[in-house]
Amino acid sequence: MNGKQLLLKALKERKVRFLFGYTGGAIMPVFDEMEKMGAFEFVMARHEQGAAFMAQGLSRASLSTSTPQIGVCLSTSGPGAMNLVTGVADAHMDSVPMLAITGQVATGVIATDAFQESDVVGVMMPISKQTYMPLAAEDVEKTVHEACYVATTGRGGPVVIDLPKDIQNQQAGDDYRFDAKKFRPHLPGYFYTPTPERDPIRQAIELINKSERPLIFCGHGVINSNAGDLLQRFIEKVNIPVASTFHGISAIPADHPLHLGMMGMHGTVEANRAIMEADLLIALGMRFDDRVTGKLDEYAQNAAVIHVEIDASEIDKNVRTTVAINADVYRTLHVLMGDPMLTCTPRRRWWDKINSFREVMKEDLREEIEVGIGNDNKLLMKGIVHRLSAVTKGRDLVVADVGQHQMMCARFYNYQTNNSWFGSGGAGTMGCSLPMAIGVKLARPKERVWSISGDGGFQMNMQELGTIMEKQIDVKIIILNNGYLGMVRQWQTFFFDGRFAGTPMLSPDFGLISQAYGIPYRKVELLEDVVPAIEEAIACKGAMVLEFICDPSEVILPMIPAGGGFGDMMIRHPHAPKKDQTKQGEAA
Amino acid sequence: MKRRAILAFTLDHPGVLNKISMLIRKKMYNVDTLTVCRSRIPGVSRMTITLRESDQDRVDQVVCQLEKFTEVISVKELDTDHSYWREVAIVKLEIEASVLETFHGRYNFEILEQKSDDIHILQVAGSTRRIDAFLDEVGQGHIVEIARTGVTAMEK
Ligand SMILES: Cc1ncc(C[n+]2csc(CCOP(=O)(O)OP(=O)(O)O)c2C)c(N)n1
Ligand SMILES: [Mg+2]
Repeated sequence: MNGKQLLLKALKERKVRFLFGYTGGAIMPVFDEMEKMGAFEFVMARHEQGAAFMAQGLSRASLSTSTPQIGVCLSTSGPGAMNLVTGVADAHMDSVPMLAITGQVATGVIATDAFQESDVVGVMMPISKQTYMPLAAEDVEKTVHEACYVATTGRGGPVVIDLPKDIQNQQAGDDYRFDAKKFRPHLPGYFYTPTPERDPIRQAIELINKSERPLIFCGHGVINSNAGDLLQRFIEKVNIPVASTFHGISAIPADHPLHLGMMGMHGTVEANRAIMEADLLIALGMRFDDRVTGKLDEYAQNAAVIHVEIDASEIDKNVRTTVAINADVYRTLHVLMGDPMLTCTPRRRWWDKINSFREVMKEDLREEIEVGIGNDNKLLMKGIVHRLSAVTKGRDLVVADVGQHQMMCARFYNYQTNNSWFGSGGAGTMGCSLPMAIGVKLARPKERVWSISGDGGFQMNMQELGTIMEKQIDVKIIILNNGYLGMVRQWQTFFFDGRFAGTPMLSPDFGLISQAYGIPYRKVELLEDVVPAIEEAIACKGAMVLEFICDPSEVILPMIPAGGGFGDMMIRHPHAPKKDQTKQGEAA
Repeated sequence: MKRRAILAFTLDHPGVLNKISMLIRKKMYNVDTLTVCRSRIPGVSRMTITLRESDQDRVDQVVCQLEKFTEVISVKELDTDHSYWREVAIVKLEIEASVLETFHGRYNFEILEQKSDDIHILQVAGSTRRIDAFLDEVGQGHIVEIARTGVTAMEK
């Protein structure tokens, strides 16, 4: 067998079904072999970045199913590989297992600036979990297996295999043997310890038992270790409130009485105030990102911190821990649950306090959502997301893009299904939603998937409508069109005297765009049409685009200004938006 | 700024040095010295990096993040009290043999070659400070060329 055959054989053995990619000179042999084998479902993206996000969507959504799959994307050398960069960096930030396979120019011409040569390993090294360049056909199979192992164990991440064209075609020697079942990668420098040690568990239980104002953080690690159900049982047992990070959302039902919602920059008042007042934080599978903590020296000053995290280098990185548990979240919760020393106390005063925090914005938000329209009778995003949630009973899968609409989706969809919330967190990559939703749908074909983007982000990868058209992928696409790069506009309103530099945007006719791709489309401008449009999309067999015309002056609150502390949390619009400047912006 | 030595055992693979130096750059350090050699175990390299940092937390973080690399088998910081830090310098001096003789016994050097009456190539080994002291005493005016290995270190 030759390199390309060994590559595909190994992927098959790793239970890979889908290959997302785009061909070109240096990867053609692999594509050709894939066609001959007929063993994969190939999904052609319209841009390699799209392929990377599709692969991410597949990895993330399938993780909680009985058949987890690693997302694999394929590209040619040079420009093809460079187009993958954003998707790989994004997966790295968000701990998403993924395999990127890039064709490379032949070994004989590497480092001569050959046609379409880029130093892929050099570029990818700092933005991926591992990189490989196999230099013999005999190394290919082993590399794929090791790559999948590294990508999916410990803290997940993207792995890149840069495969020179001559190696793809090279025959393995006659005596080449490889047994995937017996293969154990030799990685003396790669450790992760899933099982928690006894001592820190004992200390953690002591802290929990004596804490008067404890608070649990549900991070991405809860989803990644499939610990949502277990966490729900745990909080019910100990009666401790829980707040979610951006990626922890949907691990437990959003409206669970012990859930305070999302924390951080645009987190709920109750989550953020609880953090300020807590005497104990129990952080599960998270990394204390700056969007979560705000100014570090003002963060949770009164709290002891128990940090459960599989990646040892995250412990004590941003927040100093009292008890560090370097282990898998599921296993840790399992051990804690079974420990007879763990007690449950009512903590009435703490709950009274939390319930009072819950009241701070409740009425304002309820009213805004109910009214559903803002300035110029334009729709409010939060009202739309709330209605979508009501119509779908919070059970659907939501893939948000990046911007105000993303925060609205994080806050106002009532997630009921485990692992039903997807998007780009650490990197915040606009344009991720449409391609990621394709991967999510392929992983969970029986569930309904909504891709929700702003007018800005949608246009960053809207070429993937081509993939949706060709593959007849049933994703329901929502564009929340406010005519602006809304999130940036919000910052401009609050902190830049309302000068809208580079944020007003003229968009194409999304109806004509949809039509060009043969996808049904509806534009919604009136509140009474919101629910019927959502119902129409649900009834529609296959993809549909809904465009909602939204009020650009809507803001997402609360907001902790970048670099500020929790004490600086804004819960009201600091000043009314300057009308005349809005007009100016719109004219521009 | 306090001088730090970080000792790492790594797989002897291409790209490992690149990965490590990229991390150190990303953490915004300027490497003082970096030495790599084979270790006792075949396929495993030994790397000593020195850099300047006063904040212990930041050094600990560099160590943690190095440790995370798949190719890095173990890393630790070596402090000056509990480890030997040594380097070697090869120095070409324009100096009278009789003057050079006066340094003997006080500094640990070996004459590799006497090229002419007053051109000597010698090898000096010892701590960074010791080598600096030797060179100071010899005086800049006598030094034609100098090559130093950078620090290698071992725990006591
Ligand atoms: C690739 C990329 N470029 C720039 C940004 C900076 N950015 C963050 S949110 C945002 C505005 C997004 O606008 P839109 O997609 O219309 O969503 P809205 O905020 O209006 O809901 C921008 C430009 C980013 N996150 N990603
Ligand atoms: Mg917008």
